[in-house]
Amino acid sequence: MRLIVHEPSEAAWNMAVDEALLVAGIEPTLRFYGWSPHAVSLGYFQRIEEFRDLPPDTPVVRRLTGGGAIHHGDEITFSLTLDAASLPRDIGASYRLLHDAAVAALAAAGVPSRRLVAGPTTSRNPADRWCFAQPGRDDVVTERGKLLGSAQRRIRFPRARVLHHGSIVLNRPELTPFAGATADATTCTAAFAQGLRDLLGAHISRALAMDLQPGALTTAEQTLATRLCSGRYRDLEFVQRS
Amino acid sequence: MRPTDCKYQKTHEWCKIQNGIATIGITDYAVSHLSDLVFLDLPAKGASVKIGESFGEIESVKAVSSLYSPVNGEVIDSNKDLPDNLEWLAQEPFGKAWMIQVKVTAKSPDLLDAAAYDAHCKAEG
Repeated sequence: MRLIVHEPSEAAWNMAVDEALLVAGIEPTLRFYGWSPHAVSLGYFQRIEEFRDLPPDTPVVRRLTGGGAIHHGDEITFSLTLDAASLPRDIGASYRLLHDAAVAALAAAGVPSRRLVAGPTTSRNPADRWCFAQPGRDDVVTERGKLLGSAQRRIRFPRARVLHHGSIVLNRPELTPFAGATADATTCTAAFAQGLRDLLGAHISRALAMDLQPGALTTAEQTLATRLCSGRYRDLEFVQRS
Repeated sequence: MRPTDCKYQKTHEWCKIQNGIATIGITDYAVSHLSDLVFLDLPAKGASVKIGESFGEIESVKAVSSLYSPVNGEVIDSNKDLPDNLEWLAQEPFGKAWMIQVKVTAKSPDLLDAAAYDAHCKAEG
């Protein structure tokens, strides 16, 4: 499995790269990235009207994946793009596989957490607009709240592939004060964050039975990401679709 | 037994073409692998659809899945009541849970009959 570590970037570029890897990627890829500036990402089906109360000038991007909105600040963000056959066919089982790997990585980093085995799976209630507001079945939580929010996009043509991306909160962002955070258990230094990324890589690769090899975007992936960034993710019509 | 008057795609959409009009939906097999359906996005009347390209998306259990068109053509109708009644997909995937109707200009050369689609589903597991 290819390992890519990217510096924090603008929200539109982050989402463009994830889609490019889903659509044009050949090998399974685990990518770590960040958000500069901090931004809000909306789930694919969320309505922009429900977020008119965001602070002015908050960057907003729409994800290709579903679920609720996330305020991306000081966090570890990862995306996994691979052929669907490499994951359990059942969507819930694929979440459990990856979230169990995350719980193990967090424990090794000194952050206790657990995967919820019961609870709601998803909601159409606009009051649940934030991903981290209402922990549900298979979510990773601490005593304070939801710690890891993740979502998937699945395509079947030209190949059956999956994008699974997620955010582990390091320091609680201002718009989602109800979220759990690793800062509740430990001091989140740069060294801690790097160590947690390494542990996540090790546990996810073990769960998938794939070795990690450092790599970079191919020219084709880079070109597609550039086109998607300006053609979709920076396009206000896409951000504001309802 | 799946309807024998429909054609099927390996991506689990069905279509029934009569007098140049295709009625399109997703199969019981597709629905069985989606649970807790939440949202459905269908194209508007007048939209163009193309073989092998997504005509809509459906969200279930925190996964958004693309839906693929088996034909080229223009959307002449979409099932406006379906997004608010997603339980119909489990009840009547080939009936009242139809998704779009398209005036066909070309159809995919890879469409399967019911028997071949059944075999494809068995092979997928």
